[in-house]
Amino acid sequence: MQQAKGIIAGVIGLVIVLTALDGFYIVHETEQVIITQFGDPVGEAITDPGLKFKIPFMQEANFFEKRYLEWDGDRNQIPTRDKKFIFVDSYARWQITDPLQFYQRLGNERGAQSRLDDILDGETRNAIASHDLLEIVRTSNREPDTTGAVILEVIEDSLQTINTGRETIQEEIQTKANERATDLGIVILDFRIKRVNYVEDVRQTVYDRMISERNRIADEFRSEGQGEASRINGEKERDLKRIQSEAFREAEIIRGEADARAAAIYNSAYNRTNQSRELYSFMRSMEAYTKTMDKETNIILSTDSDFFRYLNSID
Amino acid sequence: MAQDQNFDFNVPPQFEKISKNIRVIVGGLIVALLGFSTFFTVDPEEVGVVVRLGKFVETVEPGLNFKMPLIDQVELVPVERQLKQEFGYRTVQAGVQTQYQKAGYEDESLMLTGDLNLADVEWVVQYRINDPYSYLFKVRNAESTLSDISEAAMRQIVGDRTVNEVLTVGRAEVSIRVQELIQALVMEYEMGITIEQVVLQDINPPNPVKPSFNAVNEAQQQRETLINQARADYNRVIPRARGEAQETIQRAEGYASERVNTSEGEVSRFNDLYTEYVKAPQVTKQRIFLETMEDIIPKMGKKIIMDENGNNVLPLLQMQLNGVQNSSQQNNNGGN
Repeated sequence: MQQAKGIIAGVIGLVIVLTALDGFYIVHETEQVIITQFGDPVGEAITDPGLKFKIPFMQEANFFEKRYLEWDGDRNQIPTRDKKFIFVDSYARWQITDPLQFYQRLGNERGAQSRLDDILDGETRNAIASHDLLEIVRTSNREPDTTGAVILEVIEDSLQTINTGRETIQEEIQTKANERATDLGIVILDFRIKRVNYVEDVRQTVYDRMISERNRIADEFRSEGQGEASRINGEKERDLKRIQSEAFREAEIIRGEADARAAAIYNSAYNRTNQSRELYSFMRSMEAYTKTMDKETNIILSTDSDFFRYLNSID
Repeated sequence: MAQDQNFDFNVPPQFEKISKNIRVIVGGLIVALLGFSTFFTVDPEEVGVVVRLGKFVETVEPGLNFKMPLIDQVELVPVERQLKQEFGYRTVQAGVQTQYQKAGYEDESLMLTGDLNLADVEWVVQYRINDPYSYLFKVRNAESTLSDISEAAMRQIVGDRTVNEVLTVGRAEVSIRVQELIQALVMEYEMGITIEQVVLQDINPPNPVKPSFNAVNEAQQQRETLINQARADYNRVIPRARGEAQETIQRAEGYASERVNTSEGEVSRFNDLYTEYVKAPQVTKQRIFLETMEDIIPKMGKKIIMDENGNNVLPLLQMQLNGVQNSSQQNNNGGN
């Protein structure tokens, strides 16, 4: 009997403890809570963390994230306005700002993610389809800076001008998506395009284009090298001829001047008077005789000559 | 209490002593467990974030720390450690020879440049947690958020540059801009992270295009080689030609001085002679003539002296002279 009493007391005690425990709940720093009573929301959202109490069993605590949450878009294949087939991979950050509304409209996070898929994918599709690829890739109209790149000697680097740019498109998508999400208790804090790339089969044509462009550059380099080498070769030939001919000219001038000077010197002496001319002619003849006569020369001398005249007579 | 009594019944007699003290033992165990769970160690590179009943209380420094049992929870956050995220590749095994895995991450690294070309960019983001509170409580999945941010940031920056810029001179600038952009976004998202460095690893043209990019480099080398060869050729020929030109000119100068000096010498000699000659022209001439004859006649071959009346012997003499010549030729031939 006493045992049965004890058991009953124990059970009652347990029930009281369990009841009390169900009334307590902990709100974590990262959470916010909506209290529902038989499914109907009661009061404001509880956002400050700590130990809280609710009516046990009648009320239920529904926990929601307070942090910034991620949304990762599917890899979407979308044609741009200029009919380039690309895939776009985007992400967004969002937050539950009104947990009550969130609870009523979306229920839980999974519901929210799928609604975000609808909204953001749709807006992305619209935005991409109404812009050229360039507007999606580029952000600003900055001037390319390639100072010091050797390749620039050959090709001119340039970026086409854009009107909108990636940042504006992203903001546009974000704004429109937020408009559609106003009554969902969430706000999209940031939307960004993560990856943009050509679809597989377009990629090959882009590669082909890049390859042909590079080949062009390579050809230009090569022909530039040949041209430059020819130029230097020509320079060499030119300089060579110039140097040689200049040297020849100068040498001839020097020789000519020397000849002239020598002639002048000779003339100044030989051409002074009749006597000097006579002496020169005589001396030169003597010299010439000396040089021209040798063993092979046979000579018949007349006794009439100046040399032998004394052989005839001493007069 | 009822349970304890039931329990007593089942215990064999030899354990009776222990079972009598069961409450003390269990109580002691509980106290010991609680005691152990009141203190915890924080490593030097970490801080401990203490959360009491879901609410943030404090962050504690490295060392031995105490918390309230059961109601306090501690999260350790490595604030001093430099963390990193890799894009376009993963380090498989770090070490002296670090191994990298690149296959399978092409989607991460392949991106469009501002001139609608493709580039393969691999980079690392090095970061540190500087605000454990924000890191834990402001953003869910800070790591994956950071990876989204840096992919978007890199593509935004590369998307504003030409492929040549990205591949060559723009590298340093790209990494600075990306770091700035990631830092700004991280601040905006209140992630409690600070970006220490964005390091660009390999930046390459996509694989199918690589050979043609290499061909460009090769062509560039070829250009340099051709030009260098031509220059070398020039340098081989021209200085030598300059030297030879000098030689030609100097030879001419040598000729000139020889010519002038000779003339001056000869003229001087002539003038001296002339001075004497004018005093006695006939005698001087006579003397010189005779001296010259004296000098040259002994050196000559046949000498025939004739009277002017003996002109008729001339043909005879002619024959004799020819005969002499012939015989000497014959002798020469015979000798040969």
